[in-house]
Amino acid sequence: MYRGRLERDLSLWVEKGLLEEKTAETLLAEYDGRPASFSLGRVLMGLAAILLGAALLLLVASNWEYIPRLVRVGLMLALIWTVHIGAALLFMRGALATANGLLIIGALSFGGAISLIGQMYHLSGDEQTVMYLWFAVAAVSAILFRSAAVTVVAGFLSWASFAVYIENYDTRWFGFGPYAPLVMAAVVLGLVRFTGADRARHLAYLLVIGWLAWLYALTEEISVAITFAVLGMVAFLLTALPVRPISTLVRTAGAAPAFYSFLVAIMGLFLLHTEMDEGGRMVVVGLLTLAAAVVAIVLHGRDNGAVRYLAYGAFAAEMLYLASVTVGTILGTSSLFLFSGLVVAAVAWVVIRLERRFAAGPGSVEAGEERA
Amino acid sequence: MSFVFAKPQAGRFYIVAAILVAGLQTLILGYIIQSRASILASGTEVLLKTAPVDPRDFLRGDYVVLNYDISSVPVSTVTGGIPAEAGEQTLWVRLKRQQDGFWGIVESSFKELPAASDTVVLRSMPFYSYGPNNGETIRVEYGIERYYVPEGKGKPLEEARNEGVVSIAASVSSSGAAQIRSLVVDGKPAYEEPLY
Repeated sequence: MYRGRLERDLSLWVEKGLLEEKTAETLLAEYDGRPASFSLGRVLMGLAAILLGAALLLLVASNWEYIPRLVRVGLMLALIWTVHIGAALLFMRGALATANGLLIIGALSFGGAISLIGQMYHLSGDEQTVMYLWFAVAAVSAILFRSAAVTVVAGFLSWASFAVYIENYDTRWFGFGPYAPLVMAAVVLGLVRFTGADRARHLAYLLVIGWLAWLYALTEEISVAITFAVLGMVAFLLTALPVRPISTLVRTAGAAPAFYSFLVAIMGLFLLHTEMDEGGRMVVVGLLTLAAAVVAIVLHGRDNGAVRYLAYGAFAAEMLYLASVTVGTILGTSSLFLFSGLVVAAVAWVVIRLERRFAAGPGSVEAGEERA
Repeated sequence: MSFVFAKPQAGRFYIVAAILVAGLQTLILGYIIQSRASILASGTEVLLKTAPVDPRDFLRGDYVVLNYDISSVPVSTVTGGIPAEAGEQTLWVRLKRQQDGFWGIVESSFKELPAASDTVVLRSMPFYSYGPNNGETIRVEYGIERYYVPEGKGKPLEEARNEGVVSIAASVSSSGAAQIRSLVVDGKPAYEEPLY
């Protein structure tokens, strides 16, 4: 995605004579040479590893009775040791893609081994503990090998763990389980920072979003929806603060913190809409949603494409919704739109003036051009 | 954490990492196998009657779901009261050998039951208790509710179970954990479970 945009921009600049063609090629080559950039070979290797891992898990599921149990356990352990030692040797030789592929197989085969043992010895129950163990082992592997690929596996295992919880307990609050997704999301975020698996960050954020949705299903209280809206908006405003520790953290995390905190706020507002669908309260919630969208565009709309589109989407959906439900009378809706139109126009005027001032100022070279 | 492993890329560290990760996995798997084997080796054997209840587990192949007479604990057997609050609970169930050879419930409690002669105390898996006003029985599981059979062999066993001729010999540890020792059809062991 970014590479395509970069290539387009570079060729545009070359065309306009802003850039030597040679420099453009060098820039592209530099981008392609970065270890984190998209490599088809690496992705295919990851997919191959997942297929092999799945083949392994299904082999286990077929329950081969002709092989004695201890031999089966021995085979499983041999596989675990082989892939990990093999990965270590490949890392030392610098064959990163294959090494990471083996680590993925290693992380998956641990789950397979636990299932195999459960099957051979008729162990039932406690799938949740198995998921915690599986996640923990993947996390340890990701740390020790500093592997971004295993971080992704851990991210998906955190989802699987939450799914197992929901399957077993639905919307009931049971023991430590409800806190586990938060702990796991924090662990995954730590792994993302340590291993440089930037894209896996979304897995952690999405897990938290899913958890919040579950929390609401658990209580179905307006206060929870209000908390989402308020805290989400506060967190979103914080990401825009130019204060030292926050700004550094936010900048290194890219577009995600602002986007997901805004998403939580929008989620809260959406839930409020489902609770308050008539009268003055609905108008207040509607206006708050429009205001939140405008604030989001003003604060992050310029640098953060994800926030921009979510804000546009929320704004448009809100307008359509208000138009469809009619506030009191058609005349009421009309005056509401008139009022909102005037406010948004005023905000637009301020923003345009600010943007002009930024563009004219000496520090017009913006540093915050990072995109998702 | 980056300060702990300042330079993990350095050569032999990878071998150490591989040994640590594979070793950790081996330890966990070994622990699971050993804790079951030790229950089989030193636990008290009880014979349990199954009741009619087949899902298919994606990872674990075919298995027969086992439902026991003792899976439904009559509220009348509960001593020491039922917690008023709904939430996570564990039930301890005291079994005694009946005249027909099967073991049945004589007492249950939400607090740990002391050992007594001629009886075995079984501990349920943690479950969600709805509080005192919920029917005449409490549904619990003991971790012995699945019997895995080779693919395709589950159906006959299920039919046998539904005809009420399947029973399970289980071994119960002093802490109340149970493991399946053998599956008995019509009084004859159909599958014996070796220790390992």
